[in-house]
Amino acid sequence: MDVSELKITAELANLNLMEEEFVSLGREVEKILDYFSKMMEADEGSLPAGTERCGANRIRPDEQIRDINPDVLLENAPELEDRFIVIPNVL
Amino acid sequence: MYQSFIGLEIHIQLLTETKVFCGCINRFGDEPNTNVCPVCMGYPGVLPALNGEAIHLSYIVARALNCTLSPQAVFERKNYFYPDMPKNYQISQFSSPLGRNGWIDLEYQGKKKRIRIHEIHLEEDAGKMIHAGDMSLLDYNRAGTPLLEIVTEPDMEAGEEAELLLQNFRRTIRYLGVCDGNMEEGSMRCDANVSINLEGKGLGRKVEIKNLNSSRFVRMALNYEIERQTENLDKGVKVIQETRLWNENRDVTEAMRTKESAHDYRYFPEPDLPPFIPGAEFLARVDKGLVELPEARRARFIADYGLNETAADFLINEKATADFYEEVLKSGAAPDTAASWLQFDVRKILNRGNQELAGSPLTAQRLAQLLSLLAENRIHGKIAKQVLEAVFAEDKDPARIIKEKGWEQMNSPAELAALVDKVLAANTKAADAVRAGDEKPLGFLMGQIMKETGGRAEPRLVQKLLKEKTG
Ligand SMILES: [Zn+2]
Repeated sequence: MDVSELKITAELANLNLMEEEFVSLGREVEKILDYFSKMMEADEGSLPAGTERCGANRIRPDEQIRDINPDVLLENAPELEDRFIVIPNVL
Repeated sequence: MYQSFIGLEIHIQLLTETKVFCGCINRFGDEPNTNVCPVCMGYPGVLPALNGEAIHLSYIVARALNCTLSPQAVFERKNYFYPDMPKNYQISQFSSPLGRNGWIDLEYQGKKKRIRIHEIHLEEDAGKMIHAGDMSLLDYNRAGTPLLEIVTEPDMEAGEEAELLLQNFRRTIRYLGVCDGNMEEGSMRCDANVSINLEGKGLGRKVEIKNLNSSRFVRMALNYEIERQTENLDKGVKVIQETRLWNENRDVTEAMRTKESAHDYRYFPEPDLPPFIPGAEFLARVDKGLVELPEARRARFIADYGLNETAADFLINEKATADFYEEVLKSGAAPDTAASWLQFDVRKILNRGNQELAGSPLTAQRLAQLLSLLAENRIHGKIAKQVLEAVFAEDKDPARIIKEKGWEQMNSPAELAALVDKVLAANTKAADAVRAGDEKPLGFLMGQIMKETGGRAEPRLVQKLLKEKTG
C-alpha cells in the first residue's frame, strides 16, 4: 500500500494521523485488501446479490436499545451548538 | 378540452416505539440528538436490523389498501449526498417493494371511483435541518425513523378529488392505528404531481409540487397548477417538467431552484439487510391487525341502524367515536337517539371545551344510562340536557346527579293532582276560560305547573289531570 494513497484516504476520512501511524496503518490496510482479493476468488455462481439468508427473517423486537450514550457520539462532531451539530450552510 | 392527471406520494411516520433499523426511541419533540446511536448516525462497522413492528404495520397498510403483497420485500440503498442523512444513503425499497397494485375507493361527486395504488414501500426518514445564516444545524432524532411511502397512479382529476383521497386515507390509517396522520406536524406528508394534456392524448409533462402541509393546500396547489398549465398550453407555451413549491402566503406554486443533473440514486441491494419474506404466521398476524375500515363501517351504520348519511359520516370519522356509539347501543339505546345526542348535544359541549370524547368524563356507560333514564321517562328532555352538562362539569354518573339535584321527574298522581288544584285556584280567570270551552289557556296553566316544579312534572300526566279538573 502506497503511503501517498493512504494519506489521501486519511484526508477524505477526516483523520489526522502522525507519520509513524501511517506505517502501522498501512500494514493493517494491506491485510484488509488481501482479504478482499481472497473473497474475489470465491465462486458465487448464480446467487443473487445481497443473499445472506439462513432460513428465518432477521427481525428485531420493537424495544429500545441504548448501549452507547449519545453524548459520546456527539463528541465526534466538528462543532456543536447546544445539542445541534453545526455544519456550513448547505441550503 | 384538456384532461388533468393527478397522482400523490404520501409519506406516513409509523407509530413504533423505536426506529426502523436501530433501537433508538422514535419520538417527536425530544432534545436534539438525544435519540441517536452509531447505526442511525452512520458510524462505520454497524449493522442495521429490521424492526419487526415497523414491517408488521407496513404490511397492514398494504393489505388495507388492497395491494398485492410482495413475497420478498427487498431493501435497497438510495444514494444521495445531503447532510440530513449521515450515511449518505437512505435505506429504502426499489426493485421489490412490499406492496403493489392496490386501490382506494372514493365517492367523488356522487360517483364511485377507484384510485389505483402503484406501490407501497418502507424506508427510513431523514434528520431535520435548520438553516441559520451561514450555517446549518442538524438534529438526527428523526433520522432512521420508519416512514411508509404510498404512491398512487395519476388517477385523479381535480384538487378536490385529491383532498378527498387524502382525508379518506388519513381516516383509514388512524383506524388502523399505524399513524396519527397529522399533516401540520409532519407525521403525514404529501407531494403531488399533475400534468394536463388534450383529451385522449395521454399524460402530459409532469410537474411535482412540494411543501403541502395540509390537505387544503394540496387541493389549492393542484387547482392553481392545473389553471397555470392550461393557460400555458392555450398560449402555446410548453409546460416545463419541474418541481414547484407551494407558497402558502401567496397561494401560488413557484419553481424550485433546480439542481442541474437528473437524480441518479444508484440504487443497489442493502448488503446488511436480508430481504424480508413474510411467512404464513406473519401474514395471519397482519390479518388480525386489520379492522373494519371507515367506508365499510359507514355503510353498515346506514344499513343496520337506519342512520342518515350526515349522522353516519359524523360517527365514523373517528374510530373512537364510532366505537363509543356502538358501545352505547349495546345497552339498548335507540340508534337514532344515541346518534343525535352524539352529533349535537355532546359535540356542542366538546367543541365548547375544545375536548376529545375519549378521556372526557362522558363514558359510553354514562351516556347509555342517561338515555335509558330518558327513555323510561324518569327525566324529561330539557333536564336530560342539564344532566349531560353536569356529567362533564362534575364527572359523576347521571343517576347520581339526578338524585343529588332532585331532578327526577315528578310522576306521583296524588302529588301532581294537589299541584294542579293549587295552580287552578291561583289562576281562576284562565281556569274558568278553559271550563267554558276555550283550550287556549291550557298552555299557560301547564307552564305555571312546570314553573312550580322546576320543569320536573311529568307533562302527559299533568295534561290529563288538567283536563279532568277543568272538564
Ligand atoms: Zn439509532
